[in-house]
Amino acid sequence: MTLRDHAIRYGFIVLLFGLVAYFSIAADGFVSPQSAVFIFQSVAITGVLALGVTATLVVGGFDLSIGSVATSAMMAAAYVMVVLEQNALVAVVVCLLIGAIVGLINGWLIVYMRVPDLLATLGMMFLLVGLQRIPTEGRSIATGMTMPDGSVANGKFSDAFLALGRHRFDFFIPNLIPVSVVVLLVLAVLIWFFLEYTRFGRMMYAVGSNERAAELAGAPVKAYKIWAYVISGVFASIGGILLAARLGRGDIASGNNLLLDAVAAALIGYAVLGAAKPNAFGTAIGALFVGILLQGLTMMNAPYYTQDFVKGVVLVVALVFTFALSGRGRR
Amino acid sequence: MSITRRLLGKVALGLAGATMLMQFPALAADKPAPFDKPGVKIALVRYLSTGDFFQAYLSGVEAQSKALGIDLRVLDSRQDAALQSDMVDQAIALGVQGIIIQHGLTESMKDAAQRAVDAGIKVVAFDVNVENPKIPQIEQSDRDLARLALEQAVKDNGESWNAGYVYVAGIAPLDRRNETWVDVKKKYAGIKEVAMFGTLDNPIANSVANQARSVLSAHPDIKVMFAPYDEFAKGVKIAVDEAGLNKGIKIYSADISTSDIAAMREADSAWAATAATNPAVVGQVSVRALAQLLAGEDPGHNVVVPPTLITQKDLIDKDIKNMEDLSAKLPQFAHADVAMPAWMPNPNAK
Amino acid sequence: MVGNAVFRVEGLRKSFGHNEVLGGVSLELHAGEVTVLMGANGAGKSTLVKIISGVYERGGGTMALADQDFAPKTPAEAIRAGVVTVHQNINDGVVADLDVATNLTLDRLSGSGAPTLFNPVRVRREAKAVADRMGLAIDLKARVSDLSLADRQMVAIARALAHQPKVLILDEPTSSLSSAEADRLFALIDRLREQGVAILYISHRMSDIRRLADRIVSMRDGIVSGIFDKKPLDYEGAVNAMLGRKIHLDQIIVRDSANAVIKIDGLRIAPGARPISLTLGDGEVVAITGLVGVGKTALAETLFGVRKPLAGTMTMNGKPYAPNSTGEAIAAGVFLVAKDRGENGIVDGFNIQENISLPFHKRMSRFAVLRRRLERATARRQIEELGIVCRSEKDEMSELSGGNQQKVMVARWMAQDARLFILDEPFQGVDISARRDIAAKLRASANGRATLLFVTELDEALETADRILVMSEQTIVGEHRNADVDLDRLLAEVAGGPLHSAA
Repeated sequence: MTLRDHAIRYGFIVLLFGLVAYFSIAADGFVSPQSAVFIFQSVAITGVLALGVTATLVVGGFDLSIGSVATSAMMAAAYVMVVLEQNALVAVVVCLLIGAIVGLINGWLIVYMRVPDLLATLGMMFLLVGLQRIPTEGRSIATGMTMPDGSVANGKFSDAFLALGRHRFDFFIPNLIPVSVVVLLVLAVLIWFFLEYTRFGRMMYAVGSNERAAELAGAPVKAYKIWAYVISGVFASIGGILLAARLGRGDIASGNNLLLDAVAAALIGYAVLGAAKPNAFGTAIGALFVGILLQGLTMMNAPYYTQDFVKGVVLVVALVFTFALSGRGRR
Repeated sequence: MSITRRLLGKVALGLAGATMLMQFPALAADKPAPFDKPGVKIALVRYLSTGDFFQAYLSGVEAQSKALGIDLRVLDSRQDAALQSDMVDQAIALGVQGIIIQHGLTESMKDAAQRAVDAGIKVVAFDVNVENPKIPQIEQSDRDLARLALEQAVKDNGESWNAGYVYVAGIAPLDRRNETWVDVKKKYAGIKEVAMFGTLDNPIANSVANQARSVLSAHPDIKVMFAPYDEFAKGVKIAVDEAGLNKGIKIYSADISTSDIAAMREADSAWAATAATNPAVVGQVSVRALAQLLAGEDPGHNVVVPPTLITQKDLIDKDIKNMEDLSAKLPQFAHADVAMPAWMPNPNAK
Repeated sequence: MVGNAVFRVEGLRKSFGHNEVLGGVSLELHAGEVTVLMGANGAGKSTLVKIISGVYERGGGTMALADQDFAPKTPAEAIRAGVVTVHQNINDGVVADLDVATNLTLDRLSGSGAPTLFNPVRVRREAKAVADRMGLAIDLKARVSDLSLADRQMVAIARALAHQPKVLILDEPTSSLSSAEADRLFALIDRLREQGVAILYISHRMSDIRRLADRIVSMRDGIVSGIFDKKPLDYEGAVNAMLGRKIHLDQIIVRDSANAVIKIDGLRIAPGARPISLTLGDGEVVAITGLVGVGKTALAETLFGVRKPLAGTMTMNGKPYAPNSTGEAIAAGVFLVAKDRGENGIVDGFNIQENISLPFHKRMSRFAVLRRRLERATARRQIEELGIVCRSEKDEMSELSGGNQQKVMVARWMAQDARLFILDEPFQGVDISARRDIAAKLRASANGRATLLFVTELDEALETADRILVMSEQTIVGEHRNADVDLDRLLAEVAGGPLHSAA
């Protein structure tokens, strides 16, 4: 391997360690188990979304609706518990169903209606941003809220549901690891294993690289594409569940920032280990990278706009790593 | 026209209820023209509309309009400055007698407002400066909001503490609240701002929570968090809870909503107090100021709606669980005695 | 005749890198005459056309238009000089979202002297003049995207003719037209011929050629291999010159098969085509040959479940076989090495091992988890078997030569045992030694399955198959046992001569 190959392969990991080293010196309190856990927690929700969108990137697609799927799931969870006064299990199931159904519709639009992926999911994004406001006529959902018909919603977020956002597992130190971090890690390992080691994952990569070849190799290409969007939708709805559990209410939001951060993480992931393709491990590292940067910068009192700037720089550098240096300008 | 009037009459009757019905003719007789008969047409031209605050504002506008027998048209530009300006012209074309401009940009609304005034239409503006001496400015006093919250912070914590401050520059109400914070820091040398952060990435509470966690681990010596916008305060509260610091830190904020009340009422909640103007009251005041103009009275150029301080103690002692309870049990929150000439019906009166 | 050649090409050469595509081509076009240019894929036809139309620069030789030196640097220059080309892809010649009138006058919208303002009245007037001259009966206000393919083609040609060319080049203009639509085109070409335009017509379709040709020029391997202008034209000679026999073949030992693997009965693959019936036996290698566009790929895809037949049945080992998808075909043991490996075969970003295992993931996994050791062992075995030249099974496909890439594609499907093994143009873009390797491997492993090759080049069929079937007009028109083949009859069938009954 030449120096250049090494740079492509390990450049981003080295950058990550460099960043950690720098913040350890520059920011007091950066190095601690709590701080590490917190970085994971701060990227848990966007990380889960990013893992989902990775699945659509693998089949050569894209999903712009993940942010609004997440916020719609959050609203749905709040609606189910606060207005309909159901328990946590019902809320979780409803959220997952919403994610799966949105994924199916996205896939159907793209595969059977031949709507280009960006446009189909963009349409779905607008649709969901509007839809989540309809049941409450644009109000955020919280216990004691007044419904459009004048009645008062008396349900509340169940403790079991809130625990998804607030419970912490003991790990050497008591109350260290929040549920959301565990969910992130479990989903990351799952999707990584699925994409790298199962025949379904392998065929998804084949579909993304050469759809025609995959079809002529006997793969039901349409089904694979639809499944990718279902995975993306379900992951986004899991992100929404974590969001609802953390906020403890249903918040009207477009979720665009969630979308942008998730996509950034997935794209940064292209550069990790010189993969030059969407991959779950890279996505997780990408999310972590952004989390570490933001944690460090916030601790050093950098204002929010510098953070957006730095995020953009990281993304551009990662894309240069992927496309120019590795000389493989393909997805 | 007659159909509209009849319809409106029915709506008004249905909603006013039986007791109201008894008083209605007597009151109506007392009102000056044009409110001596129902059907005065006004338009609400909005720039911002999504979110609890704007929902509540609209409900206030509707309630006061109903009480005055006004035919209200709502035009919503959804943050499109050019469209909002066009909507003023649309309202003029509709033949309304009065217009309320709710938010917007000075640059785009100044000329539009002038065109309405030139067309002989009475105009009031809420939270947007249209730079026109003939147009009364309805304001919730952001400086007073910040002042009330910070006075409570000093009362609770003394005159010397380390503070974390959540602020995003360039947002007009936040900038005005910031002026008060700067003054307070000057006045009390013991108050030290050790960290300033903030973001408007949505969901805002989630993004601010992430930032606040970082700030709390970098500055464990923070005792007070000043978050003069309830979305900021929610985010800070999540971070404080997650860090397990809810007993050592107090949060002071501005604005209020049902979910804010729930968050403040939680056991050992760090959220100590908030100062708020009732958006519904602001809506009512907007309509009343416009009605005064239409009746030939002068509400004054600056119509300021005073804020109310709401503490955790108030909420628990008075068992206030939502915005309705708040209006019912804190009368100063439910009604502001602003733009209230004797003939003006009070929509809150039961 | 020689004296009145409007357009003359002499000793034209062109190379891409080391690859010489044109090795000194000479060609004459005469006013009021249709010259048909025939040639197999890679014979150099399109390169020749691109040089004449100013897309490529020539590597050597001369071109003359009306005895004046002709050396266009851009397509626009060629058009201005009076040499107009209608390319094969119709949509390159028209703008779908504009109306017919604008399309007909599109070339006047740009260039020096074009008016700044778009004047619809003037455009329509000019367009009407063009349409009238052509006898074009299409609504000038219609949007091109609403027209049929034939009408679009007419518009594209009319647009080309608006320049009043001296030379018109038509590159496979009927490839996507129905026969009725083609008739309209032919009528137009007749008209142009009468008007004295010199036409170069490129086609594989024998029916077109019979209908139109005044002269035929055959090309092979970058040179003109035959010129036919004596009436009646020698069509078989032209096909022979185009396909030819390049090398002296090693005789193969022809096998006959007794056990039928697959029976095809009354299969119709195109509307109006005559049904196909054939039987393929265990252990035999059958080649189906025919010109480009006669339905070879359609038949291959029908057998593989990519498309459905319009009529007819297939039985495999006595059981009905009607695959709804490629997956079902593979499950039934029917494998296809598709033509054009870059488009239909190779998965970029997958290495050799991953490319080989692609169709058989299910058989190589346990509980959906791929067994990588088995995958690697299979890849190594296949690399060994087919003699694929590479460093290891982890090599990227892009690092391999064309011949080795094709070997990987064949190896992919030979990793498991097939009942019917179909290869569509398996020797396309493959050097001679790799071609020999693949053919030898196919013959050596033929027992236990039926092998079906689709090839355009006759040599490839003669070199590999036990039996050769000829396709023309979407059906089988001839059958030959590959021993003492009657080449004259075979060529006649390829050229679409009097139809022999297909066994």
